Amino acid sequence: MKAIEFINVERTFKDGDKEIVALQSTNFSIDRGQFVAIIGPSGSGKSTFLTIAGGLQAPSKGEVKIAGQAFSSQSEKKRSRTRFSEIGFILQASNLVPFLTIKQQLQLVNKVDKKKQREEMLELLNQLDIKDLQHKYPSEISGGQRQRAAIARALYNDPTIILADEPTASLDSEKAYQVVEILARETKKKNKATIMVTHDIRLVEYCDQVFEMKDGVLKEKSPDSLSSGQGS
Amino acid sequence: MFLAWNEIKYSKVRYVLIMGVLFLIAYLVFFLTGLAYGLAQDNRTAIDSWEADGIILPEEANGNINMALLSDQAVDQVAATEKAVLGQMAAVVEREDSSADERLDVRFLGIKVDEFLMPEIIEGRAFETDQEVVVDVSLRDEGLLSLNDSVSLLSSEQTFEVVGFIDNAKLSVSPVMYTTIEAFQEIRFGEMEQERDELAISAIVVRATNGDIANVTIDNEQLELIAISDFISDLPGYNAQVLTFAFMISFLIVIAAIVIGIFIYVLTLQKVSTFGVMKAQGISSGYLARSVIVQTFVLSAIGIGLGFLGTAGTQLALPAAVPFQSNGLFLIVVSAVMLIIAVLGALFSVRTIVKIDPLKAIS
Ligand SMILES: Nc1ncnc2c1ncn2[C@@H]1O[C@H](COP(=O)(O)OP(=O)(O)O)[C@@H](O)[C@H]1O
Ligand SMILES: [Mg+2]
Repeated sequence: MKAIEFINVERTFKDGDKEIVALQSTNFSIDRGQFVAIIGPSGSGKSTFLTIAGGLQAPSKGEVKIAGQAFSSQSEKKRSRTRFSEIGFILQASNLVPFLTIKQQLQLVNKVDKKKQREEMLELLNQLDIKDLQHKYPSEISGGQRQRAAIARALYNDPTIILADEPTASLDSEKAYQVVEILARETKKKNKATIMVTHDIRLVEYCDQVFEMKDGVLKEKSPDSLSSGQGS
Repeated sequence: MFLAWNEIKYSKVRYVLIMGVLFLIAYLVFFLTGLAYGLAQDNRTAIDSWEADGIILPEEANGNINMALLSDQAVDQVAATEKAVLGQMAAVVEREDSSADERLDVRFLGIKVDEFLMPEIIEGRAFETDQEVVVDVSLRDEGLLSLNDSVSLLSSEQTFEVVGFIDNAKLSVSPVMYTTIEAFQEIRFGEMEQERDELAISAIVVRATNGDIANVTIDNEQLELIAISDFISDLPGYNAQVLTFAFMISFLIVIAAIVIGIFIYVLTLQKVSTFGVMKAQGISSGYLARSVIVQTFVLSAIGIGLGFLGTAGTQLALPAAVPFQSNGLFLIVVSAVMLIIAVLGALFSVRTIVKIDPLKAIS
C-alpha cells in the first residue's frame, strides 16, 4: 500500500477573472521508507503540492489518499485529526511553539493525544543530538538545532508521512547537509515516507527519487540529468 | 492546561501584569462589596436581630416609623404568635464628662424587658430602671462609650447610665440604645407625667405562625401590617444606597470582564502564527480554544484570589468606624460572577482561533 497517493490532483486559483493553474493534473505516489525531493523554481507550485499533501488545502480536482484511505475528501475536522496522527510537518522557518522548551514540544503531542504509546522522548532527542538542549526554548538555540528539534517533533508522533518545505532554507550549507542527512537516516530507520521540497539541488544526493516542478507540472528526473545540473 | 501554564511561565512579566490588573479590579470589587454590605447592614441589623415577621404601624405613617405614633392599647387588637411594643426615636446624646463636640447620633428604642425585642447582652447587664440603657457595641469599639458612663440627652436634662452592650444593633446607620418603654415616653414627650394606664408607642412588632404574616389579624382599620422585609427596604435611604452600590459593583464586574477579554484577545492576535503552526500540525481548534479559556480562568482565579487576600488584609487594618463587613456568600457569588464573565470575555478569542487558516500561518 502506498503511503500517500495523488490521483489526478489539480489546483487552480481564481485571480479576478483569470484562472491560475498552480498544480496541473498530477499523479504521484510514494512508499514508506522512501525519501523524495521536489526541486523547482520559485512560484512553480511546490508549496501548493506539499500543502495539498498535508491537507492544508483541498485540491480543485482529483483526490489524495493516505495509507489507502480517502484524505482530501474528508471533512476539515477529520483531516486535522489525520494530519495530527499521520503527517509530520517540517517548515522553512521554525514551526516550534516559542513558549515551549524542546522537550515540552514533544510533551505537547502527548497532551493532545494521551492514548498512543510513543517512543522514549530523551532517546529520540539523543538520536538527533539535541538531548542537551531539552530545557532550552527555540529562541535560545541555533537554526540547525531548531530544525533538528522540528524533525524530532515531526517524528515523535510516529507519522506515516513527513513533509518538509525547504527545511534548510535558513541554514548554511554545512548545517543544511547535516539536517538532510538526519532526515534521510530517520526516514530509513523509522520507515517513513518523506517528501522534501528544496531549491538546493546539491541536497538531493540523499534522496531516492527526485522530482522537478515546473509551471505546476511534476516530472521525475533521472539521476543523469541531476549530475549534469549540478555542474551548471 | 499544559500550553496555558507553560506560556504563563514563559512570558512571566506580561502575565504578572495582567494578573496585577485583575487583582486590582477584584480588590476594588471586593472592597466595594464589603462597604456596600456593611452600610446596608448598618441600616438594619437591629431589625434583623428581632427575628420578627411583621411590624404594625398607623396607616398614616406610610411605612415610616419616624412618623408613627399609637397607643399601646392597640396591642390588644392584634392577634399574632408573639407581640412586642416598640418606641423609636432619633436623638442626640453626649457623654456627661465629654467636650461639646463629641455628640452622638443614636436611636432610642423603648421596649419591654419581658418581650421578644429584648436583645442579648454581650457585656454588662440588662437595663432595670428607666434611667438605664444598653447600647450597640460599636460605641465601645470606637472608644466613644464604656460601661457605667452616663449619657445625657441634648434636648432635655435626662441622663442615662450605660449598663450593657449588645451586638448588631444599628438602625438607619445609627447605633441603637435600648431602654424601657416608659423611658421612651420621657424622651419623646419630655417630663414624665404621673402613672398612666396608656403609653404612646411607635409600633407593634410581631412574629407570626410559620413566619407568614397572613396569619396575623388586626382589629383596627387605622393600623397597617407591613412585612419586615418591606419595612426594611422602605427605610429612608436604604434602597437608594443598596441600588447605587449594586450598580457600581455590577459595572465594575462587567468592566473587569471587558478588560480581561481585551487582554486575552490582544495576546491571541499576537499568537496567530503560533496557533496556525499548531493547527497545521493537526492540533484541533478545540484544544487551542480550551487552552485559552483555561489560561483566562487561571489568570482570573489567581487575580481574584489575591484580591480576596488583599481585602482580608485591609479589613484587619480598617478603623472600626468604617462600615466594612464581609459576607462569605456575597464574596463567593461575586467571585464566581467575575470568573464566569472573564471566561465569557475570552470567548471572543476563541472565535479568532477557530478562524485561523493554518495555510496562511505557515506560508
Ligand atoms: N492562495 C493563492 N491564491 C492565488 N494564487 C496562489 C495562491 N497560492 C499559490 N498561488 C500561486 O500558485 C503558484 C504556485 O505557488 P507555490 O506553490 O507557492 O510555489 P512555490 O512554492 O514553488 O514557490 C504561484 O504562481 C502562486 O502565485
Ligand atoms: Mg514555496
